[in-house]
Amino acid sequence: MSHFTKQGLSPFKTKRGFLNLHYRFSFPCIFSPSKRGIDTHASRHLDQKPLISDAELRFEFAHHDPAVARVNNGSFGSCPASIIAAQQRWQLQVLRQPDDFYLNRLRPGILHTRTVIKGLINAGDVDEISIVDNATTAAAIVLQQAGWAFAEGRFNQGDAAVMFCHAYGAVKKSVEAYFSRAGGRVIEVQYPFPISSKYEIISEFQKVLEKARSDGHKVRLALIDHITSMPSVVIPVKELVEICRNEDVDQIFVDAAHAMGCTKVDMQEIGADYYTSNLHKWFFCPPSVSFLYCRKSETLPDLHHPTVSHEYGNGLPIESSWIGTRDYSAQLVVPEVVEFVSRFEGGIEGIRKRNHEKVVEMGQMLVKAWGTNLGSPPEMCSSMAMVGLPACLGISSDWDGLKLRTHLRECFVIEVHIYYREPEDGEVNPVTGYARISHQVYNTIDDYCKLRDAVNKLVNDGFTCGLLSN
Amino acid sequence: MELVKPSRSLVVYSAPNLHPWTHPRATLADNSSNSKTPLLLQLQLHRRATATATNHNHNHNHNNHTAPQKPKLSSLSAADLRSEFAHHDPAVARINNGSFGSCPATIIAAQHRWHLRFIQQPDDFYFNVLQSSILRSRTLIKDLINADHVEEVSIVDNATTAAAIVFQQTAWAFAEGRFNKGDATVMLHYAYGAVKKSVQAYISRAGGRVIEVQLPFPVRSNDEIICEFRKALEQGKSDGHKVRLAVIDHITSMPSVVIPVKELVKICREEGVDRVFVDAAHAIGCTEVDMKEIGADVYTSNLHKWFFCPPSVAFLYCRKSDETLDLHHPVVSHEYGNGLAIESGWIGTRDYSAQLVVPEVLEFVNRFEGGIEGIRKRNHEKVVEMGEMLMKAWGTNLGSPPKMCSSMVMVGLPVCLGILSDSDALKLRTHLRDCFGIEVPIYYRAH
Repeated sequence: MSHFTKQGLSPFKTKRGFLNLHYRFSFPCIFSPSKRGIDTHASRHLDQKPLISDAELRFEFAHHDPAVARVNNGSFGSCPASIIAAQQRWQLQVLRQPDDFYLNRLRPGILHTRTVIKGLINAGDVDEISIVDNATTAAAIVLQQAGWAFAEGRFNQGDAAVMFCHAYGAVKKSVEAYFSRAGGRVIEVQYPFPISSKYEIISEFQKVLEKARSDGHKVRLALIDHITSMPSVVIPVKELVEICRNEDVDQIFVDAAHAMGCTKVDMQEIGADYYTSNLHKWFFCPPSVSFLYCRKSETLPDLHHPTVSHEYGNGLPIESSWIGTRDYSAQLVVPEVVEFVSRFEGGIEGIRKRNHEKVVEMGQMLVKAWGTNLGSPPEMCSSMAMVGLPACLGISSDWDGLKLRTHLRECFVIEVHIYYREPEDGEVNPVTGYARISHQVYNTIDDYCKLRDAVNKLVNDGFTCGLLSN
Repeated sequence: MELVKPSRSLVVYSAPNLHPWTHPRATLADNSSNSKTPLLLQLQLHRRATATATNHNHNHNHNNHTAPQKPKLSSLSAADLRSEFAHHDPAVARINNGSFGSCPATIIAAQHRWHLRFIQQPDDFYFNVLQSSILRSRTLIKDLINADHVEEVSIVDNATTAAAIVFQQTAWAFAEGRFNKGDATVMLHYAYGAVKKSVQAYISRAGGRVIEVQLPFPVRSNDEIICEFRKALEQGKSDGHKVRLAVIDHITSMPSVVIPVKELVKICREEGVDRVFVDAAHAIGCTEVDMKEIGADVYTSNLHKWFFCPPSVAFLYCRKSDETLDLHHPVVSHEYGNGLAIESGWIGTRDYSAQLVVPEVLEFVNRFEGGIEGIRKRNHEKVVEMGEMLMKAWGTNLGSPPKMCSSMVMVGLPVCLGILSDSDALKLRTHLRDCFGIEVPIYYRAH
């Protein structure tokens, strides 16, 4: 099946229809109410609405700067025009009569969102779902509780938290601000990058937990990314959670900022204690909204939102639903977003699969064009892929990576996140820079051709990062 | 002011500051329960409130504030004003600006423009636009509140967040042994519910003792408050403990009274209180806000209540001193450790647009005679006038003398309504909303 058209339409569009398939998967199993027990609202709409057309899709993202090859959906996500309109309708309702809204409509609206999410992620109970601003906030909630545990003597000085060396910068700082500050020890799990298989991660993780045990360090908290940010790799969370259970880790927190809409998200499958994902990255919500799942348990401690309101003590979902006067509208459009994704073949699963296939295809195209390599095998890519940049570009620091990114934005009108990888001793002509390319429904092959050609031009011109001023 | 026998419950009446004003008609005595014609104040145009072009000086020179020098836009006509708030439900007598504030259409449009800029090219916005725009807002606020350094001004979501920031720091001080178990925090009995819970969640939990200043209500003068405050500080210092933190409202929420913060801060200094935190959620746009005058260590106010910003944005002022207060935003990002103002400028991906429209809001308020000061003064005069009108009509009393009112006033409700609990007050409020189309919070005053 050729998905490319000369007109530069989305590779998934042919002149006839949305997908060049011989038959249609109208209702993939993820939306089967019996399998997932989800709100039938989504499946009803699958029955009724036509699939989104080319023109409609372009309209939905017409507010994106058309000059930019926007291959960085991973950083800030994207939101269709109809969802922004829905959000503004909610905002107007508030401004029209805020007292009535806050007293009578906000809580049911948030409960509706929570219920929809519960269905989407296969959680057991809506009480397990809280809505917060973003994964950064969710991390602070989990870590603040650990800080109290030290202060109140439930954790001992020196008890450990385990996290990946490639964990998100803000989460690392949060661990420092709450866990280390309170007297905890932090153990980082190193794994190689580029990476060849998930077993490299699993074995390193196992080793670290075993060593912690033999050194007599109680591991109170494991922080596991579902999809790391930089460099972006899908982590085998299910296996790692199992190892944690075998090693008697107290609390397992999965930071899945990217996961929703980007990889499979199933709370029963994964089995973590806490799990958070942003909905504004890959799930078309406006900035910003995310969920924090907390497994119902007799042994897990109470979590609290750090912004304390009169709802304090009523459970995290209720506390999070009122943290003072603010704009909650992004949290209220989740039902509209579910309708939106249902207009794509296969719903969010279909979108996810096609994004993954496309980003791998584009990644491989770039790798061939530049003579480099992918940072991980395709099965460890999500809707993002790490693509090696030519070594001659001379990316020799994080700062170089940022300068190159700026240069690509300003001179080539391309938005792409660049990762700097420190080479190992003895590496000859190492690939030290990786472009993290994303694919979302609005991307076309032209975006990646533009990136390909820009880098080729830089190479041909003898460009190096050293030439860029600070 | 003569106090009549206090009634059981009082209504908060806040000035609908931008409605055209009139002299109230006698029809107010008609307590018709006709739900189709809610008990609205029939208002005509009040000349003063329409910003006519006189020699008004919007530089606030008399307050030593330096507002930005900009070419003056045309004054708002009555029609302009109506259209700015045309999105308010026209069927509602909206006299509860104090709870959730209000935002003109121009500002909402400005906010949408900022929001659109972000979603158009978020990376570029994040790297090149956001921080400089937040800094611009912070700088304008610094001037408005007469702070010395822009580093003293952080922008957060609301006063509730600001309180959490201050109290979390106090909790760390207990956990890390800088404060001793039993050291006291003094706060007003009428402190805001969320702030009381926050004190419980952070300070009590960490081992601090909380002392509430009992205040009389109705209140007759500042002296009554000052006297009770002194007593509470004495209690805090008993048994060799220290008063580590005083939490003082600038304008209490329910019942709403202007607190003599300047005097109370002075007393705190005399009595060796470590830190003074003023919760001034309502203050900006509603009373005079001058950091050097007030002299607190930490001060917070919402800009979406009385300063026409969209929901939600507040500032947290933290006075520069030799002793670093080491406040941190509880949502930790990669900016951790770079100072509260910078930390607050990035707490993960979210919509910062409400924080970016402060310049547009200043332009808006400067289209009124006297700018924000003029608005504030007229709101105060009007709400007192309306409060006295209601008090006469109902045969009740105000909860405080006019000089202790801001743009809100507590007006006694007739005893015969039988408001005997907080629940009754809420039910009456709901009844007024559902059956009369009136939005007004009711306070139950327990005996």
